[in-house]
Amino acid sequence: MNRSAPTRHDEAWRYSDISAVEAAWPLAAPESIIVPAGGNFARTILQDTGSIHQLDIAVGKGATTAIHVLNIGGDYGRVELNVTLHEGADFKLGAVQIGGGTQNLEIITTVTHAEPKATSSQIVRSVLAGTATGTYLGKVAVARDAQLTDSVQSVKAMLLDRSATANAKPELEIYADDVKCAHGCAIGELDAMGLFYLQARGIAPADAKKLMLQAFVAGVFEGAADEDILIEAALKKLGELV
Amino acid sequence: MLQITNLHANVGDKPILKGLTLSLNAGEIHAIMGPNGAGKSTLGYVLSGRPGYEVTEGSVTFNGNDLLALEPHERAAAGLFLGFQYPVEIPGVSNVQFLREALNAQRKNRSEAPLSGAEFLKVAREQAGALGMDMDMLKRPVNVGFSGGEKKRNEMVQMGIINPALAILDETDSGLDIDALRTVGDGINRIMRKPDKAVLLITHYQRLLDYVKPDFVHVLADGRITRTGGAELALELERDGYKELAA
Amino acid sequence: MSDELDMRDKAAWDAAEKVADYEHGWSSDIETDFAPKGLTEDTVRFISAKKNEPEWMLEWRLKAFALWKTMTPPDWAKLNVPPIDYQDAYYYAEPKAKPKLGSLDEVDPEILRIYEKLGIPIAEQEVLAGVEGARRVAVDAVFDSVSVATTFRAELERAGVIFRSISEAIKEYPELVKKWLGKIVPMHDNYFATLNCAVFSDGTFVYIPEGVRCPMELSTYFRINAENTGQFERTLIIADKGSYVSYLEGCTAPMRDENQLHAAVVELVVLDDAEIKYSTVQNWYPGDAEGKGGIYNFVTKRALCQGQNSKVSWTQVETGSAVTWKYPSCVLNGENSVGEFYSVAVTNNYQQADTGTKMIHNGRGSRSTIVSKGISAGNSNNTYRGLVRVAPNAEGVRNFTQCDSLLLGSLSGAHTVPYIEVRNPSAQIEHEATTSKISDDQMFYAMARGLNAEEAVALIVNGFAKEVLQQLPMEFAVEAQKLLGISLEGSVG
Repeated sequence: MNRSAPTRHDEAWRYSDISAVEAAWPLAAPESIIVPAGGNFARTILQDTGSIHQLDIAVGKGATTAIHVLNIGGDYGRVELNVTLHEGADFKLGAVQIGGGTQNLEIITTVTHAEPKATSSQIVRSVLAGTATGTYLGKVAVARDAQLTDSVQSVKAMLLDRSATANAKPELEIYADDVKCAHGCAIGELDAMGLFYLQARGIAPADAKKLMLQAFVAGVFEGAADEDILIEAALKKLGELV
Repeated sequence: MLQITNLHANVGDKPILKGLTLSLNAGEIHAIMGPNGAGKSTLGYVLSGRPGYEVTEGSVTFNGNDLLALEPHERAAAGLFLGFQYPVEIPGVSNVQFLREALNAQRKNRSEAPLSGAEFLKVAREQAGALGMDMDMLKRPVNVGFSGGEKKRNEMVQMGIINPALAILDETDSGLDIDALRTVGDGINRIMRKPDKAVLLITHYQRLLDYVKPDFVHVLADGRITRTGGAELALELERDGYKELAA
Repeated sequence: MSDELDMRDKAAWDAAEKVADYEHGWSSDIETDFAPKGLTEDTVRFISAKKNEPEWMLEWRLKAFALWKTMTPPDWAKLNVPPIDYQDAYYYAEPKAKPKLGSLDEVDPEILRIYEKLGIPIAEQEVLAGVEGARRVAVDAVFDSVSVATTFRAELERAGVIFRSISEAIKEYPELVKKWLGKIVPMHDNYFATLNCAVFSDGTFVYIPEGVRCPMELSTYFRINAENTGQFERTLIIADKGSYVSYLEGCTAPMRDENQLHAAVVELVVLDDAEIKYSTVQNWYPGDAEGKGGIYNFVTKRALCQGQNSKVSWTQVETGSAVTWKYPSCVLNGENSVGEFYSVAVTNNYQQADTGTKMIHNGRGSRSTIVSKGISAGNSNNTYRGLVRVAPNAEGVRNFTQCDSLLLGSLSGAHTVPYIEVRNPSAQIEHEATTSKISDDQMFYAMARGLNAEEAVALIVNGFAKEVLQQLPMEFAVEAQKLLGISLEGSVG
């Protein structure tokens, strides 16, 4: 493990709030989770205090793992997942980060398809206001011989103010030929026509915006055990920004 | 009810409406017909306040008030409803949530008490039923995955729930098969043909007018009303085309 | 459609039948003058003196050399490159029979024969073979370290177009060169660009005056012939207001067991309403099937879209080189400026490519399109690396990126590393990436229609790359289609 705190030259920390990282250094060892063959694991991470979460998850043969993340609190918040998938395993991530003011929030995932027939699906939504920075570094690695991998990644970010920053790196590293990997990333503002449609039905601009933003993030938590808590916390945070 | 006087409007830098004058009274149904590119949809958007549609000259009053001074949502609260030619898909927002928020926002603007969930659902069920729309569709995200016909029907359900004073219906008949056309036509008559309401039907073809009989038909060409007549003018247009009449 | 098929039939199929590993892999016996082996300040002085350069140029080179000695090679690319011994190479090689530029009659006939063998139309009357009604193309032929011929000079001059070797331009148009040289790719930009500043030997200079649409396509053909020799060319193209030029670049090198270094810098400047279309077919020697030899291709290409409505379109077909490190980029400063990057990169055997682009959106309403098609075969690794950045004040920016990878065989690697950094809410940025292989059904279908396996692969790969290939000028498109087929030979069992 790294003895000294990372710098911006370290790829996984290139957009981080380095002084906050240094203050938190050294970090505790990442939480290690082993999901046995055929097992099911689910976890909700609500980062609302400004902390660094690191999880190493090994998903055994035919096992499933679902992680839901809401990254909203503190000056610097980071959720880092290092996931290894064994044969036929399935990993699902639904993550939302919402930042305002000078917050620096990031979600970093490395999903390694180490063996054949594993599937992964990652959905990440960011909403950023003020001069906040929201980063998603997501790497999907497919090992040699991890044939029949099926991986999808959908990354979207919405900026509410000029000088808010959205960074994204949806990365693929592929060493097997019979794989299906599709990545999409979109950064933009709320659909103007949608906003007008809502207003033409009588909804005030700020409420229309809030409604669209709710829709933007809410679906991500579908199926989470704590779905209601996450949605409530997300909406409260959105309410503070709009 | 609606008085449009010498209206000029640009989209970007391009002038589209060039001195349009039109007056609608309560209890009347007007149809605006015209060739593609005449400015029909622009008129609907200008009246409902779509950003990017800039009025450069003229005035519009709605029940005596300056309509153009209002924000889009204020125009809706004042009783104006635009039926979109291409209803917008809003993923993640259910029809029910959308309509309840819309209706209660308008009621709030008019200092009326909001409807409770139960009251709202009752109204929604009535209107959906009358237009032959499944309640399941009301729970789905707004227009997402709807066919063209379903979207238009959904616009009518919304109109029924919101119950506006003036409806501007932009090509509401496009993309409808004959059965859907009748359903939508019946819906317009049922909801809007009342002494205190008015309708502006924007259409390219006269077939909707078989179901919704207009009191007046106007020809819009090159940003102006070039001719006005009764319902028979629509048939004339259908027979002779726009070219001769626009001249 | 049928024209296209005819062309593919005639040219590509013929080529695909050939067994040749690397068509341009022969070397020629040309008497050559070398600079002393190795790299010192004296090497830099030697090159500058050889070119009779003005003092300011020498000083600029020496400054770069001093800077370079303090730098380290970049290590972030997904490339495995053994340390390069910069002292074990020649930095300057020039054919002994010195040509007087501008007069083809005086070029060493042996060199003319080489270009002829490469199929490059160095004689002015020549039209590219096999293409009906082909446009004429003016050529700057760079042989090892020097430009040996630039054609159609007189006709271009009548249009006001300056088309010269950069060595000549430094002497003839010092003000223009001084104004822009090193302004798009700064001297300190990166290790290889700095090295190029110190030892660049020749290259092409183009100036298109205001309002001029260049009457023909301009091109440079690079040939590394001499052994143990690096090539460090430098290209500067200036498109003044309202002008247009289409520029083509092709490269070949002989088969040699040792690795040869190619570290070029290309700078483009585009002013208001001007456009440069820059097309490259890179076919340097890729090394043999065991990964021995081949060119190390470290290239810095950048365009400055300075004027409003300015546009640069980079199209590249990268089939050669043992190692490719190359990111043709656009700095979109001008309002409503446009950057495009269309790339096909093929790697086979032990080739490694790390290539992509940067689109830096500083101007309001600037737009960019990125289409990258990576094809990996054999034991090769093929990486798309890109950056799309939107500055806080750049309103209304649009970017669309499509990165597709095709893997042939299970021993290769295909990687996508896109960086997206957005600081303005009105931006609309879209990135899509897919990875696929040639399906058995596709192969069977093509073979059931009578193609052999290699022809089937060539056909499917050409289809995969079509969006990019159709950006190329027609003559280049034919060559590129051939190349894709040849590059993938031996990749299907």
